[in-house]
Amino acid sequence: MMRKDMTYSVCPICLKRIPAERIHEGQKVQMVKICQEHGMFTAPLWRGNVSWGIWKGRIEPLREDECLQCGACTGLCPDHRRATCCTLLEVTGRCNRNCTFCFAGECEEADPPLEQVKAWIRDLTVPGETFLQLSGGEPTLREDLPEIVAFARECGCRYVQLNSNGVRLAEDVDYVRRLAEAGLSFVFLQFDGVSDDVYVRLRRGPMMQIKERAIENCGRYGLGVTLVPVVVPGVNTDQIGDILRYGISRSPVVRGVHFQPVSYFGRMPRMPRDEDRFTLDELIKEIAVQSGGLIAEENLAPSCCDHPMCGFHADFVVMPDGSLRPLTKRSTACCCHGSSLPEEDPARKNREFIGRRWSSGGGKKAEGVTAAENEPVMKTGEDGMPDLSDMDTFLSYGRTYGFTVTSMAFQDAGNLDFERMRQCSLHVYRDGKKIPFCANYLTPFPAENVNGGFRIMSMK
Amino acid sequence: MQEQYQPELGGLPEIRCRRCDLVMEPAETYFEYLDHGFHTKLLRCPKCGEVYIPEDLARGKMAEVEQNLEDK
Repeated sequence: MMRKDMTYSVCPICLKRIPAERIHEGQKVQMVKICQEHGMFTAPLWRGNVSWGIWKGRIEPLREDECLQCGACTGLCPDHRRATCCTLLEVTGRCNRNCTFCFAGECEEADPPLEQVKAWIRDLTVPGETFLQLSGGEPTLREDLPEIVAFARECGCRYVQLNSNGVRLAEDVDYVRRLAEAGLSFVFLQFDGVSDDVYVRLRRGPMMQIKERAIENCGRYGLGVTLVPVVVPGVNTDQIGDILRYGISRSPVVRGVHFQPVSYFGRMPRMPRDEDRFTLDELIKEIAVQSGGLIAEENLAPSCCDHPMCGFHADFVVMPDGSLRPLTKRSTACCCHGSSLPEEDPARKNREFIGRRWSSGGGKKAEGVTAAENEPVMKTGEDGMPDLSDMDTFLSYGRTYGFTVTSMAFQDAGNLDFERMRQCSLHVYRDGKKIPFCANYLTPFPAENVNGGFRIMSMK
Repeated sequence: MQEQYQPELGGLPEIRCRRCDLVMEPAETYFEYLDHGFHTKLLRCPKCGEVYIPEDLARGKMAEVEQNLEDK
């Protein structure tokens, strides 16, 4: 049986805001929208591996006059539904790779001067609260990045995260030391797979050794690392389980895996077809299947802070035998899911959750600290495993060996839904304004192949 | 309730049960939170079994356990 509901999206060619329908056929959902000038477009949203209705819960439909300012990149709407969880600041447009996919696209401009970056940080920081992600380009191309990190901490940023491809972190251990000593909290490491063929296709060169060295160097200075795979159909969807196992094997330096199903903005190889998309429910299914029992589908809970269709999270403890002990279940979700007036600010709650979990457990930011010195205090049970029912062991061991599996499904011009955007808590700081991530990087699709004003992007 | 720190109780204060007026004794105590079971040493009345949870434990470790188990 087919049914539909309404929302608002954009024309992928001219980016004009237009009404969009979500067409539900069984458990599959696709977006259909018509631009008067450029024709009809469709995009798959959900492929029916998980119940759309149960996952999404009750969300108030978008009104026609909602999310206008966010979509126009002129700052957050006055009635935007989420405070800022993470503020992203681009400190450079330069990069040392030329990736097939990149949300930031091309930029050859000179770096903003240090004093300018400091002024931005001063402006965006709420002392004791701000979670700042330094991004780019590749931020580690800046020699003064440690100074930027130190300044952010002086201003009162609660967490300072580095978004990096890992090249400099692998090659320059002294730079890693300087970042750690400056107060860097943790690293978001681009990590698309466990074999070089994936990097050759996505990053135009082998990178596996680089990633390994980057993780090792971060571990040396107590910097927690979250692996961030961009998941692209036909390239690395079969490595989801391997990436998880790799991350677990590098615990506690690796704090978790943050999957990003590919989205099409910035630099993209071509207009996406139906088969170029990897939906959130496909990712959920593949994690359960490929992890071989390590992670069950029910361990993954919809995002509470952002819209449930924007991502999920799961929290575990890595046991000495490499198994995972789940701490959260979908059934125990969620304080705020579907609620328009949650008791506690979900952005603050989310920020504290990920900040705590992505920080290195007990790692000291000084050279010469041995692994043994960072080992948690623990009691063991009869099976020789940590006795997690002992409260002190649970806290100490869990702090060190915590492991998160999270995901963020960004939106592009093909599948953007303003209902999701009005709840976005990941904000890019630009010229004194905060802009939802997917609005900031929204990129029109190339208009070639538009035939007589009618273009079916991805209908099968 | 009278509270005096007694070194022989491993740093736990001497607390009397207000119902039974007996000195509470340290005992391994089991509790549950969101389907997870835990145990830790708390003062317990030897007669009625009532336990005393000091404020620093409630606001400290127990709050941290809750934070770890609650959904984000």
